[in-house]
This record gives sequence, structure tokens and C-alpha cells, in this order.
Amino acid sequence: MNPSTHIAPALRSGSQILIEALERNGVKQIFGYPGGTIMPVYDALVGSGLRHYLCRHEQGAALAADAYGRVTRKAGVCMATSGPGATNLVTGIANAFMDSVPMVVITGQVPTALQGTDAFQEVDIFGITLPIVKHSYIVRSVADIPRIVNEAFQLAQGGRPGPVLIDFPKDISTGMSAVVDIAPAAPLEARLPDATALETASKMLSQARRPLVIAGGGIAISDSVEVFRQFAARTGVPVTATLKGLGVMPTDAACFVGMLGMHGNGAANHAVQNCDLLMVVGARFDDRATGHLAQFAPSARIIHLDIDAAEISKLRKADVGIVSELAPALEGIRPERKANPGWCAQCAGWKKEFAWRYDAPVEGIYAPKLLRDMSQAHPEGLTITCDVGQHQMWVAQHCEFDHPLDHISSGGLGTMGYGLPAAIGAKIAKPEATVVCVSGDGSIMMNIQELATLKRYGIDVKILLFDNSALGLVRQWQELFFDGNYSEVDLSDNPDFSAVASAFGIQSKSISKPEEVSDAIEWLFNTDAAALLHVSIDPMDNVWPLVPPGKPNHKMMRSNPVKGR
Amino acid sequence: MNHTLHIQLSSCEGAVIRALGLIERRGFSLNSCSVSEADGNGRVMKVSVTSTRPGDLLKRQLERLHDVFYVELKPAVISKLQPPGIRPISRRI
Repeated sequence: MNPSTHIAPALRSGSQILIEALERNGVKQIFGYPGGTIMPVYDALVGSGLRHYLCRHEQGAALAADAYGRVTRKAGVCMATSGPGATNLVTGIANAFMDSVPMVVITGQVPTALQGTDAFQEVDIFGITLPIVKHSYIVRSVADIPRIVNEAFQLAQGGRPGPVLIDFPKDISTGMSAVVDIAPAAPLEARLPDATALETASKMLSQARRPLVIAGGGIAISDSVEVFRQFAARTGVPVTATLKGLGVMPTDAACFVGMLGMHGNGAANHAVQNCDLLMVVGARFDDRATGHLAQFAPSARIIHLDIDAAEISKLRKADVGIVSELAPALEGIRPERKANPGWCAQCAGWKKEFAWRYDAPVEGIYAPKLLRDMSQAHPEGLTITCDVGQHQMWVAQHCEFDHPLDHISSGGLGTMGYGLPAAIGAKIAKPEATVVCVSGDGSIMMNIQELATLKRYGIDVKILLFDNSALGLVRQWQELFFDGNYSEVDLSDNPDFSAVASAFGIQSKSISKPEEVSDAIEWLFNTDAAALLHVSIDPMDNVWPLVPPGKPNHKMMRSNPVKGR
Repeated sequence: MNHTLHIQLSSCEGAVIRALGLIERRGFSLNSCSVSEADGNGRVMKVSVTSTRPGDLLKRQLERLHDVFYVELKPAVISKLQPPGIRPISRRI
């Protein structure tokens, strides 16, 4: 080579290489919070093409990145410093792991020479997060950064998605290297279904007298919603959904019997307990969906479709397991005839029998009715993020979703405090969507500081806060299963939530009477910025139906046997 | 039920502890473990575990780790399930 034409690659710092590797992997937005060991990365962030959103707690940043990842189906990115910054991310990482959400997490770390010496803000975040990441790295050489970042995105987004952690020591972020950039890694190769298994599954569906499909979160994760709807239309098999599968079918579709499980619809639970063939698509037999596992779908043979081989027969033995991308598997299952009309009619009968009622004799505002009315008043569709508790179940039961990714709910981990940061992540990912955070008075306080994030960036999120002055779902369980021995569930000294919102510069309104609901909802959606509607409800309202712990799904309680509601 | 697994895995930082952590967290108690250099690249970890859960489930859970190249589930050791009275005497020596 002629030395005069050779241009040596420029020396760059590890932080610059990291930021540029993120950009090359398509990252536009990032959530985080600066601190000591991550400062060189924040230095390189200035002037880069990345938009950074400063959340007010690292957990808020991780949960916002989680929702961003769900909505875009690309890895959400969050970043924090070492020590407490990193440990504050842990709940968000676990949340993403449990719900198979693509996420790349970057943590600062003390310099390599100080690791293992109990240095200031040193914590073994690599070790702490081992069970809740899909994979993780400690960067040991500046030259490794482009490869590690590429791999992290490939792994986070490929197959069954999940969080990938990159621990980034300070000497690596300040170290210099002439390493050249490399193109982002190609997506992981798609796994296709086994032809014999498809044939067996088709045959089993043809022979079944009472077939049923459970639609799970994997359908949206793998972008297979349309293919699933075509499958349902082609086969006529009745469909139930898990919490994360809601929206896969329109609520009013004739063959759709609603959500199954602990707070599921009676139609879904009766269908699942009576079916003779259960085809489980991108779901994992979670205990909240199955009730007492040994008595779950007792007469059914099982066809289980999942991208993750480790899910097949993990909890319920599958007669046929199909490890594959869902779309080609759904396209390849072709029963000879449509589902038995008698069985479909029986499911339709249950759907009618167990249809939600909104005439409960309550004096105050009835949250299920409010949610149903709000949902139906927006036929164009809302993106609803939830916190965790009674309101989360009411949203799942009473709101209608055009697509599963319009319903952003912490399913596996059940993270109180998810709703508000999730709304921030969802709105940033999908600015054209009307994003509503439905929260409760317990949950909102877990990440209330993110109101400041809403205000700072002018993020137009509508917050619907149900306040029953209690930790409602725990109180309900204490009422039903602990003889009314209420322990640490009273929140009657809650702050004035309207005043709290106002102090953060967020418009707010409080209501407590049914006749105020209509105007207040109109007000909430007509404000041109973030707004909070605080709705006081009866502290003793419960979520019905409920499958008691240890009972099979058809043994639903529909009211408190003592008080009758 | 006892299970023996031979796990070929990367020599990357954390690979061994990640696999061992998964084994215990997924409900398999560790009876013995040895780690050695593999002939080609990486390492071989040989583990003996006890669980009421099936060994092939653990195999599939290990296989989804990025660090793990290959897992071989050895046939179950049936003799351990026999009542002590019918064990061949030679086994006790």
C-alpha cells in the first residue's frame, strides 16, 4: 500500500465509539440519568444525533425505555451511572425480561482497576442482573465496543426479545482507540416450523370437537396480528386472550370470548375449561392465566406455538410443540374443516351470558363504566398504559383495543409505578397516538416524580387516576381471604393529587360524583397538554370475577358472598 | 430424579456463573460440577443435578443462553432409584 494514500482511522474515545454505535443501530431516543462513572458518555452525548430524555429516577428511565421498546418493537435504550443508578434500573430490566421486551441497558462502572475494591458507587450490576437479562457484557477493551453494541441489539431484538445489559467501566469510556465502525449485525435467522408438526396440529384441529385458541403476547411481539386474524377467520376456532394478547381480536368479534384467568371473563374461563383442544399461541401458561394448573383445561390436548423452545412443556405438557416464528406456523396450520358450529354457538352463548354489566348498585363513580365509556368514545383508538392493581384489571376487562400494542401493561412482573413512565415512553415512540395512563393512588406515588419529565418535554399524556384511598387489590384479598384483617392498605391520608399535579405544572381536575364524569372526560381529552383527572371511587369496590388462589378457572367468585358485591 | 448434563460454553466472562445460576434458579439442585478447557474453544461444564423437573427442560433453558454452544443430557442413572436391598453387593464396596 502506498503510505501517502493510507488514512489511519481516527482515534476516538470509548464514549464516542459507543454513541456512534448506538446511532448506527438506529437509536434516536434514549432515556437516562447522569452520574459519576457515566459522565464521559454524557459528555459525548452533547452534539450527537441522540435525543436524551432525562427522567427523574432511573427506574422511570428503564420503564420508559421498556414501553418505547414495546411500541416500536425495537430496543428501547436506557442509561444510568454505576452503583445506585444501576440498581435503580433493576426493576425496569426485570419488567422487560418478564414481558419479553427488547431493551439495551447501559450502566456506568467504576474503572477496571478499582473493580472488586468496594470503590465509591461500585456495585456488581452484571452479577445482580444475571437472572433478568437475555445477555450481558462488561466491556473490557475499547476496541470491543462496536461488536458488543451490535450484538446487544441483535440479541435484544431477535428471537424472543429481552433486555441486554452493557456495563461500561470509566477507563473504557475515556480510553482511546482507532477501531473502525462495523455495520449493524443482521437480524437473527428466523426459525421456521417443522412440517410434520404442522401436519399433526392441522389434523388435531380437524378432529377436535371443542377447539380453542389462547392468543398471547407473542403475537404482537412477532408482528403476527394480521396473520393471526386470518387464521382465526379461516378456521373459525373460538379465541381467548391473555392480558398481553388483548387486542389481537376485536372485542366484538363473534369468535372472541375475552380474557381468561384470575380476573378473566366467565365466557373465556368456561370455554377453556370445556375445550378438548387448546392451541396456545405465543403464551406461557402463566399462573394468573391458568388458575390451578392441574385442573386447567382438564380435557384438552395441547398444541403449543412459541419461538422459545424452553416454554414448550414447561408447565403443561404439549402434545405438539412447534418452535417457530408464529406467522409461518399459523399459516401452515390448515385444518380440513371449520370449527364445530355447535361449539362456536356454545361459546357465543357464554359470551352473552357473561357479558359485562354496568348497572352495579354503587353510589359513587363506577370505574368499569367510566373506562368502558371512555374507550367507546374514542373509536379511533387510544394507547392505554396501566399501572398495577384493580384499575389495571378494569382496563383489561372494559377497554377495547384495536391492537395489542395499544395496551401497555406490566404483565409478568406486575410493576406498580409502570404506568406513568410507560406513557412517556409510548408517547415518544408514537407521537401521533392519544396516550392515556390509567393509574391508581397507590401506583402513581411509585413514580410520581415523572410528572416533571412530562412537564419538561411537553409530553401530552392524559392521566386518569382512580383513587380509592387504599391499596385496592391487596385490600380486596384481605377482605376475601384474610377475614377482613386489613393490614397496611389504608391510604386515606393521600396527598391532594390535583394540587400535586399543579405543583408540577400539570393541569388537573378532581371529581367524585357520577354526574361529573362526562364533562371531566371531555375536559381531559380536550386539554392541549398533559393533564391529570383525579377520580375518587368507593374504597370498597372490588374487581369481579375473581378466581380464588388454588382454584380452577371455572370456580369464579362473582361477588363477596357476605356483602353481595 | 438425577440428571447429568455436559454443557459446552463460551469462555467469556460470566458464562459459567450464568449457567450455574440458571440451574439453581430453575429448580435444579446442584450435586456436582466440574469445569475444564474444551478441546476447541470455550469450556466444558459437567454437572449432576437433582430435581422433580424434567432434565430436558433444563437442557432447553440452558440452550437459550447466548454463551452456551451445546448441551448434552446424559441418560438418567436408574440404579439410584432402586431400593437399597436389591443393590448388587459389589456396588457397596
